[in-house]
Amino acid sequence: MRRSRQAFPVGLYGMLLFALCWLTLPTVFAPLERWGLGLVSLVPELAASWRGTPVHAAEPAVAARLQELTFDLEVRTAKHDIGSAARFVPAGWEPVHCAVLSADSRRGGGDQPCELLLDHSYAELAGCSAYVTKADVLLGYLVQPGEALAGEDEPDDPARVILLNHRAAAPVMAETARTSGGALQMIVGPAAVADPAPLRVDLWDNPFTASRLRHGGQLVHVVPLDRVDDQPPPGLWLGRTLVWGYDGEVGQDPLAIGVYVSTPFEPRSLSHVVVWRQRGVSAPQPPLRERSRRIPARLWDLPGAAGRRFLLSASAAVPSGAAVVHAGLCIGTTRGLSFGNALVTSFLGSRRRWNLILLPSAAGERPRELSAEVVETDAGVAVLRCRSDSYDGFHAPLPRGYLFTGSNGRGCPAGLFLGAAEPGYELEELQVTIPIEAGPLDVEVLVPGGER
Amino acid sequence: MKRWFWFFLVGPQLFLAAQWLQDLGAPPLDMAVLMSLFLAFFAERGALPWLLLGAALGRALVDDAGVPVQILVLGLPTACLLPLRAWFFGQRWFWQVLAAAVGALMVPYVAMLCGRWFDQPSASAVIDSWRVFWAALLLPPLLAVLRRLPPLHAFEEVS
Repeated sequence: MRRSRQAFPVGLYGMLLFALCWLTLPTVFAPLERWGLGLVSLVPELAASWRGTPVHAAEPAVAARLQELTFDLEVRTAKHDIGSAARFVPAGWEPVHCAVLSADSRRGGGDQPCELLLDHSYAELAGCSAYVTKADVLLGYLVQPGEALAGEDEPDDPARVILLNHRAAAPVMAETARTSGGALQMIVGPAAVADPAPLRVDLWDNPFTASRLRHGGQLVHVVPLDRVDDQPPPGLWLGRTLVWGYDGEVGQDPLAIGVYVSTPFEPRSLSHVVVWRQRGVSAPQPPLRERSRRIPARLWDLPGAAGRRFLLSASAAVPSGAAVVHAGLCIGTTRGLSFGNALVTSFLGSRRRWNLILLPSAAGERPRELSAEVVETDAGVAVLRCRSDSYDGFHAPLPRGYLFTGSNGRGCPAGLFLGAAEPGYELEELQVTIPIEAGPLDVEVLVPGGER
Repeated sequence: MKRWFWFFLVGPQLFLAAQWLQDLGAPPLDMAVLMSLFLAFFAERGALPWLLLGAALGRALVDDAGVPVQILVLGLPTACLLPLRAWFFGQRWFWQVLAAAVGALMVPYVAMLCGRWFDQPSASAVIDSWRVFWAALLLPPLLAVLRRLPPLHAFEEVS
């Protein structure tokens, strides 16, 4: 009996089970990880403190160029997001440009995220209309605190937006142009999670004509309803039609069994949206909120992973997921440890999905919001597989330009410079050249702020 | 108690030391495979869970994924190789070469699966035939040396 107990490694299996529990309840065990790794990291921190003098900042010319690019990104993003919607919204409405903190992991139609959290609180957006746009596209609705979907939210919490693919989102009256002339009107609502697109056409004004649709790709626009006061601004568009069905036999027509609407912006890659407020309506003054604060820190290369993995030491506690910035350049994000330490994985060394913004080098072109992951690296050049928006049509090529972070959580906001990008060999591929600096660096960690 | 102190002080740093040697021009040494071989063939069974935790902390220093994923990445190959201990115990070169090669294939594969399931992808989840070759060639002699030195020597099971 004793022999068999010794032969069966209960402790090992117990530890594997414990790891599964840890992964299931990460917040419960997070302090354990911070302490364990924090203690272990004290030895390399001690060794690193003997290595070299830190680099403080970039050359003035480089810093000035980065500042110029960041300003250009802000201007072009605001122009694209606000400008083209302004002609559709009622006169007297003014835009509030909001950054997206995160896309909720809950899935809506088309298996896409269906809720966004904004960097503005409900209090800051009090008096705004319910409609949320990006460029001339209707994205969804702003939720009010205390409503069923935000029953537990307080006015100071980040505002929540439900996208049109949320099952609670109100359907929209829309129309699409027919190839033979005229328009086909429809009610567009959220699709099911298993559906091939986020939105689905529920009702048609002319079902017979609709059943004979053969090709998708037509723009779907919001149209006004008679005798309804509160409705989305007509003229905004929702997406492009996607005809779903069976290919016909030779000589026969294909059989359409459903028509969906594919939205131009992928919810998980959204970094900015626009909320509209009536001019003259002043929101109650919310508490002044710090978007993020900067903690000075020192960064050392970890052996064998120069430019990819670092040890960071700061004077204050560093949370996980915070961006590390050196002279305007985003180096990577943190895994926070105890004792003011953190492990940093650079953009080049990470394999997770990033939200990014590509600023085209051609002046005046709109910035592209992407969701991408690094698939290959070679001496400071990363090959990215991207999912871009379809605002300009499906399979539009990505331009040459400059890559910035998009919204990657509270600690890694949009607009931090990553590198110069050019189109890769594949259609949705980018090659990004990332400036790598060796040796200890003086950096700043962007920590999400609270109220002041 | 003293042996545990030395293990948690030195053991996790072995992962950084292997990378430091690689910076100096040495071939890649997969410490995850080496620790799995030690745990599976030589370590005291009662000490396995805590040795595994120490090794996982070390690998979390050099890899993007979190500690629980590292426990699975190191623990699953260990659990698979452990039943073979009765045959492989002692310095049996051929079997250790084979086990090291299997481990060098298994560790990145498990890392890739865990990365996908738990959304913690890591750069080490790539099967590289050169790493398998070096693991098979270098890890058995390195294991023979390390298990005679502290801190691993203190945890070697007495046959």
